Amino acid sequence: MKTLIVIREQEYDWLFDMFPGVHPLLVPICNKPYIEFLIDFSIFTGSDAIRIVSNGLLGDVERYCSTGSRWGVDISYGSMQPADSLHTVIEKNRRFCQEGRVMIINGFLFIHYDKKSDYAALFASLPSGELLSCNHGSIEVTGTPATEITVNGTRPLSLTALDSVSTYYHLSTDILNNGLTYYVIPGYSSEPDCYIGRNVIIPKSAEIKKPVIIGNNVQIMANAVIDSNSVIGSNIIIDRNSIISGSIVMDNTYIGEHLEVKNKIAAGNLLVDPESGTSFVMEDPHLLTSMEQTKSAGTLFRRLVHSVTALLLIILLCLPYILMRPILGIQGKWKRKKEQYYTGQQGKTFMLTMTTIDCSAPIGALAKAISLDRFALLFRVLIGKLALIGHQPVPVNPAIKIIPSSKAGYRPAVFSYAEAEDWPEIGIDTEIVEHYYAVHGTPLKDIAMAQKALFNRTH
Amino acid sequence: MNISEKNINSYKIISLQGILNASSVPVLKTCIAGLPNTQSIVVDMENVEFLDSSGLGALVGIAREKKTSNAILKLARMNERVKKVFEITQAYSLFDIYDDVSAAAEA
Repeated sequence: MKTLIVIREQEYDWLFDMFPGVHPLLVPICNKPYIEFLIDFSIFTGSDAIRIVSNGLLGDVERYCSTGSRWGVDISYGSMQPADSLHTVIEKNRRFCQEGRVMIINGFLFIHYDKKSDYAALFASLPSGELLSCNHGSIEVTGTPATEITVNGTRPLSLTALDSVSTYYHLSTDILNNGLTYYVIPGYSSEPDCYIGRNVIIPKSAEIKKPVIIGNNVQIMANAVIDSNSVIGSNIIIDRNSIISGSIVMDNTYIGEHLEVKNKIAAGNLLVDPESGTSFVMEDPHLLTSMEQTKSAGTLFRRLVHSVTALLLIILLCLPYILMRPILGIQGKWKRKKEQYYTGQQGKTFMLTMTTIDCSAPIGALAKAISLDRFALLFRVLIGKLALIGHQPVPVNPAIKIIPSSKAGYRPAVFSYAEAEDWPEIGIDTEIVEHYYAVHGTPLKDIAMAQKALFNRTH
Repeated sequence: MNISEKNINSYKIISLQGILNASSVPVLKTCIAGLPNTQSIVVDMENVEFLDSSGLGALVGIAREKKTSNAILKLARMNERVKKVFEITQAYSLFDIYDDVSAAAEA
């Protein structure tokens, strides 16, 4: 048995706007990428080879699914033209389709199945032709049946066309309420209707009500409530006193303090109402509550702590800098680049000289390990232009429409929180960790984080 | 670059073997130029070891010429190396791609 999955770009392109940055075939339904449901179903029907065909780009899907070795099947990819009929697509994949039975899933459909049913026997015995259809697609079987067995009774299968955000939302909640046992859902489940992923931190004061699915690397803060019918994705922080109710929180999202997200889909800085399909983009990159910090005594104390720590670092690094800087300069391994960066004040910029050290030689590696490339920036901390630890300075770029400001917690610094936590230094994950510490940082925590950042640079 | 030709139905099947780059593109173009403009072609890519931008550009050029002459250029049996180039350049949308030569020549 083989499976040919045919999905046209025009059937799923509405998802590009809704969840930018995620390929529509990888959009999670109950924390499981859509395409995995189709792969699972294909495996349950006894398929050992799957071909995914689309007129859209499949690069992301190919990177995710690869050759299918993860599932023990052979996955290949094909292309088609937008106007190709199903017959043409089958002809274009004749070599794949010509031997044995082939199940053809045509359309951007969700197949409701039950993992406990014996679909392999069912599909082996079905006559050729259309098995199921809806207004947006169908499931067909080609080839002669392998067995003469007639399977009686109703087929425990149905289709849902994924054609709107409302369908997507209701499908997720339906699975959550009635169908969790029918599918292979990621996560650990010690009790019914509750799936929890890896590295999930739940404090005692947080409240979680079933049915619920929580992904990997999720931090739920004190007094947060995850109400029933919620799907929490991966790499998420739900901050203090927030309530998530009947909502889907997509991967890489930060839910700020004292927020109530009810019957919505939250994806990054996008909040979608599934009923009306309307969405709005939050001004800051995440769903954050106000973070503006007043010039209080605490802020001054923090600046003082940063300045004193920076002074200590200058004293410590002064001698290595004097010894190693000229050598690296002569070797051409000390490179400097001047660039405009945003300050913490809205729209204001300042010039910073960033240094990069070529680490190919031991002396370069040593200089980088002890952060000599940041030495000159430490003087900026003394005069209050930079923090010792905070956000990576954001370079001025006309393509970036959201200008960082202190209102969104932006504080350019010599070392970044992402470095301290050893997170990748680019990408949305970095923004999440930096925003988190912008809200929850204290002067003492800053010293500890600066220490961690220094230590991580030696790795 | 070795090129072999055969006919299936009304299509000329051109099988390429080797590297399709700037130095071998003229060989392919000479081969195509020897055929009538209205001749539809299936290019069998199974044994193409390497394809660069010049090779891809030549295929796009041939496809355009065929289209203006109401003929068709189809590609068949692309291997993984060639697929990667098409994926990166998003050239999939420009061609009809088959996994079987006879299917391409019958459709």
